Amino acid sequence: MIQFFHVYKTFARDVEALVDINLEIEKGEFVFLVGPSGAGKTTLLRLLFHDELPTSGQILVNGRNVGKLPRRALPGLRRSIGVIFQDFKLLRDRSIADNLAVVYRVHGIPPAAGRRKVANALKMVGLSHKAQMMPYRLSGGEQQRVAIARALMSDPLLLLADEPTGDLDSELALDVLRLLSEINTKGTTIIVATHDSNLVRDLGRRTILLKGGRIVEDHP
Amino acid sequence: MDRLRYIFEDALINIRRSGWGGLASIGTMAVSFVIVGIFLIITGNLGALVAEWKEQFQVTVFLEDGITGEQLALVRKRIQNERAVKGMTYTSKAEALQQFKRELQGKDSLLEGLGENPIPASLQLRVHEAYQTPEALKQLTASLGRVEGVEDVMYGQEWVDRLSAVIRLLRLLGLGVGLALGLASLLIVSNTIRLAVYARAEEIEVMRLVGASRLHVRAPFLLEGMIQGTLSAGLALLLLYGAYRATLWQLQVTPGQVFGMGVGSFLELRWAVLMVVSGAGVGAFGSLISVGRFLRA
Repeated sequence: MIQFFHVYKTFARDVEALVDINLEIEKGEFVFLVGPSGAGKTTLLRLLFHDELPTSGQILVNGRNVGKLPRRALPGLRRSIGVIFQDFKLLRDRSIADNLAVVYRVHGIPPAAGRRKVANALKMVGLSHKAQMMPYRLSGGEQQRVAIARALMSDPLLLLADEPTGDLDSELALDVLRLLSEINTKGTTIIVATHDSNLVRDLGRRTILLKGGRIVEDHP
Repeated sequence: MDRLRYIFEDALINIRRSGWGGLASIGTMAVSFVIVGIFLIITGNLGALVAEWKEQFQVTVFLEDGITGEQLALVRKRIQNERAVKGMTYTSKAEALQQFKRELQGKDSLLEGLGENPIPASLQLRVHEAYQTPEALKQLTASLGRVEGVEDVMYGQEWVDRLSAVIRLLRLLGLGVGLALGLASLLIVSNTIRLAVYARAEEIEVMRLVGASRLHVRAPFLLEGMIQGTLSAGLALLLLYGAYRATLWQLQVTPGQVFGMGVGSFLELRWAVLMVVSGAGVGAFGSLISVGRFLRA
């Protein structure tokens, strides 16, 4: 599903974010990307949906070379990937349901079918009763789940989550991970980036440890 | 189909959100269009006036008092051979006097002491428009002036030419003013759209990240600019028409009767359509400038 071949990412002033990353992730896997802040976790995720381009090396997602994708193919790639952002990126000026509606509108799905999708996604994360609320009325954990619901709107083959448990207490964090596991059982490949190595220790999932932009451990 | 509908909805949402700024932009553009429209109406009407005058334009050939019937026939024949002449009418001395008396409107006692009729007989020539140039007319009068029995040849072309020159100048001025105002409108629209782009920056980011195409992101702004431009031109036409009707009412005349000629009409339909189309065009272009600059990549 995902392959990295000698991927380097260097930002301006020679800041090396990723150094010689070689990685293979199978379809349907659930992978944790662990490491301290600044280790390159977010950068690695952003490379996958073409938010950043590698300085050198090749990245294949579903057999497509992400770095060499023509611009018109970009929407197609992004529609196959759901992304849960660290800062959620919820639009503050509209309800939860309307936040999710952005996705089906972009995909050009008819309104009736789109609304059904919204309802399903909210049901999945257990927020059906808050569909008409504005994001700021929701707790951090609920906002996180809205972000997950939005990522699910496009029925993604690959789900990327950047620090989805960042601001949550351990119980809520485990809730979120349980939810992601549930999604994973339906066949979606999931990559979760987190700095909290304690959280993932006992879950028995594949864990890749990043430090200073390099992969230092890869526990299957 | 649904995508089109969403794009249209987004454009309308943008317009609603632009609030007073959007209204100010539409208003300012409308003022530009009104000014351009005034130029178009003035030059259009002056053009009609000149066309009318050119149609009625005559060269008058005054005949010598002692002209014989034979000589007159020769003069007529000579004139008929002129390519510039479309047709002619003969006015005898007696008819000319009658006409003059009518024009004096009851003050014909002024003529009482004259004794014999002082007004010459004449031929009024209608001239093909192509020959209504100073050079052609000079040639025509010179050649007719030499014919036996002709006293004098007169025409009033000079001021028609002057009016034509004024119209040309006005058109040029209108074009310059139109271009300047068009440029200003472009900047105004592009600024409104820039604000709209900023206002929706977060949404645009999310849209891109969930796989919106460039077109889908840009089209609503393009449409917003076009709608603003079209509304401005429409508003300008309404204002112009209102002012036009008010002026006619004030002057107590009906269209087409000002100066008793085909003058006093509103903008021709094709100009009105062109105004609306260029409104949409300016809006689209202004929008493209902003969207291009602020939505790179």
